[in-house]
Amino acid sequence: MIPSSIENSEIYPIANPGSIAFFGASNNLAAMGTTVLGCICAMGYAGKIYPVHPKDREIKGFQAFQRVSDLPEIPDLAYIVLPTPVVVETLEACGQLGIRHAVIVSAGFNEVGGQGKQLQSELTAVAEKYGIRFLGPNCIGVINTHLNLNATFLPYEAGRGYIGMASQSGSFITQMSPHMSRLGMGFSTGFSIGNEANVDIVDCMAYLGACPNTRVIALYIESIRRGRAFIDTARAIVPKKPIVAFYVGGSDEGRRAGFSHTGALAGPDPLYNGVFRQSGVIRASSIEELFDFCYVLGASPPIQGNRVIVQTHSGGPGAAAADACGRNGLHLPALTAATLERLKPHVPHTASVANPVDLTFTKTPLDFFQTIPQILTADENADALLIYFLATSRMIQVVLEALGVSDDMSGDKAEEIIIQQADAIAALGEQIKKPIVGFSFLARKESSLIRALQDRGIPVLPSPERGARALAALVKYKNLREKLTQG
Amino acid sequence: MEIIQTALEEGLPALSEHQSKKVLEAFGIPTTRETLVHGCKEAVVTAETMGYPVVLKACAAHLMHKSEKNCVRLNLTGPDQVRDAYDSIMDSIDVEIDGILVQEAIHGQRELIMGMTRDPQFGACIMLGMGGIATEIFKDSVFRVAPFDRGEATDMARELKAAAMLGRFRGQARADMDTICNCLMALAAIALDHPEISEIDINPLIIDPQGKVTAVDALVVLGNR
Repeated sequence: MIPSSIENSEIYPIANPGSIAFFGASNNLAAMGTTVLGCICAMGYAGKIYPVHPKDREIKGFQAFQRVSDLPEIPDLAYIVLPTPVVVETLEACGQLGIRHAVIVSAGFNEVGGQGKQLQSELTAVAEKYGIRFLGPNCIGVINTHLNLNATFLPYEAGRGYIGMASQSGSFITQMSPHMSRLGMGFSTGFSIGNEANVDIVDCMAYLGACPNTRVIALYIESIRRGRAFIDTARAIVPKKPIVAFYVGGSDEGRRAGFSHTGALAGPDPLYNGVFRQSGVIRASSIEELFDFCYVLGASPPIQGNRVIVQTHSGGPGAAAADACGRNGLHLPALTAATLERLKPHVPHTASVANPVDLTFTKTPLDFFQTIPQILTADENADALLIYFLATSRMIQVVLEALGVSDDMSGDKAEEIIIQQADAIAALGEQIKKPIVGFSFLARKESSLIRALQDRGIPVLPSPERGARALAALVKYKNLREKLTQG
Repeated sequence: MEIIQTALEEGLPALSEHQSKKVLEAFGIPTTRETLVHGCKEAVVTAETMGYPVVLKACAAHLMHKSEKNCVRLNLTGPDQVRDAYDSIMDSIDVEIDGILVQEAIHGQRELIMGMTRDPQFGACIMLGMGGIATEIFKDSVFRVAPFDRGEATDMARELKAAAMLGRFRGQARADMDTICNCLMALAAIALDHPEISEIDINPLIIDPQGKVTAVDALVVLGNR
């Protein structure tokens, strides 16, 4: 179950070590362990690091120790990136010293079968003997951005974020940071869980459930080993924070044909659909959706219903957004008479005040970011706003220059306006407690408006379809949460 | 349960339809009124008492796919039809049977299937699906892991693609949702109480125009496979 506080989690020291005994780094630059230690140093981890190496006396500026027993203290964590044959004896030595947590990156265990299976059971036996909790083997490691800890073999390039992830593939821990940084999001904590010989996805999920830096949990799943524990743990977490899972395939074991219809229909996929729904877990159908959903779920206040108002200044994107909303079970209500009345002074005669609200143009530029969204979200039928963003800094600059602002002033002035606009939307979001989701065909690096919005907590996705699906995920979360709390 | 124990001792792979329904009934799942008879005369007398129309089916533990074996006769409306049906089933059967089931005929356009299967990771899983053509073509079925509460059972029905058919549908009453949920929870209870049962299949469970729900055919498969 979820620990009462994060410090009480049995795996807390794995993600929050104050000191690390590091096995497998050396002055050989080609060794994977050396790369991992390099990544730890690069992110600026402030804890103590004790490399253990039979020959090298100093590694990357750290004093190295010949044997585990030479260490000056009992470190919180053993990090093992050694050749397979010496892993078991190393864990044994760690256990003897009193180390109770480990990350075992080394591969060559259950996943290779044969002798590997034997080695893995020796590993779990040693862990049991000493009460060691360990992540892996055959994993990529752990990231805790709030501790500046990136113990993987690739640099972490996104910022500190609120997405806590447990993944049965190391790639989604190590290789997602460019994808996340494109939307201005990042991991809080990431666990690559490998073979799950000791710590499994349920343990990680429980930890993330209690983690104060984690607003939403992302799971990459190929199979769930502790079925009932998964369901119970997820059901305990979901009333407090959303869980999104991307599940692929599944074993053929579950696919065996039965005597009866029931068995024949119980392929892994429909069964996992049921398991997720019973667990309160939102299922994403791609890696892109997994992170989109987490992004919007972590950024938005709870949604009350499925009624969305689409605001745009251009017909096509508005229609595309309306269509995508419809396909994803969202409803576009007509504006009430009161809303229409309030809107009248602020919209040009070319505008359409149906939903989508297509403004074509606004009398005052800030109206698009302040007055109009405020009126729209105040509509009693509005549960959320899906809004199209176009403006680039350059576009505002051209307008300013046409108005007579000098070339050397227009750049700064344009940035100033953009900040004002982003602040206005962000302030509205805070005030109304209804989700505002943006979409734009411009990315962060192409538009300072998009960057400013994302940095202020307004999620902006790269297409109307992605925006609508993420809004639908908010509605799914609302429904799942209600089912679990009313049950 | 004694029925299960006896079948296990005899090494049978499954319970007969009649025995399967007795297990379901014991856990509160509504099944057809039916009597196992051993002669043509008895079949007619039973049908008269039960009221027409009736259904005749051969009944045996090893008859797991009855309609394929040509041993089911539906919608019999009088004694002559019952006699003919009885004789023709006996003629077409080449295996030993427990007897012939005389069963009330349940009519309804809406059919569900329900079942239980055991998954290596999740244990007993309960299935609900739309019956008839929907089963084969649309695979409109949903699963939950046992045990679960009534809220979850309700959610299963809601999750079906054709969930609207359980509401008021073409002049027919809303399906009895309480009973549907009870049945799903009962299947979960059977699965947890009886690890010796490996699969259960209720196919179909008919919803009549008044919304009443009845398990019309059932199969309990035994043994840990």
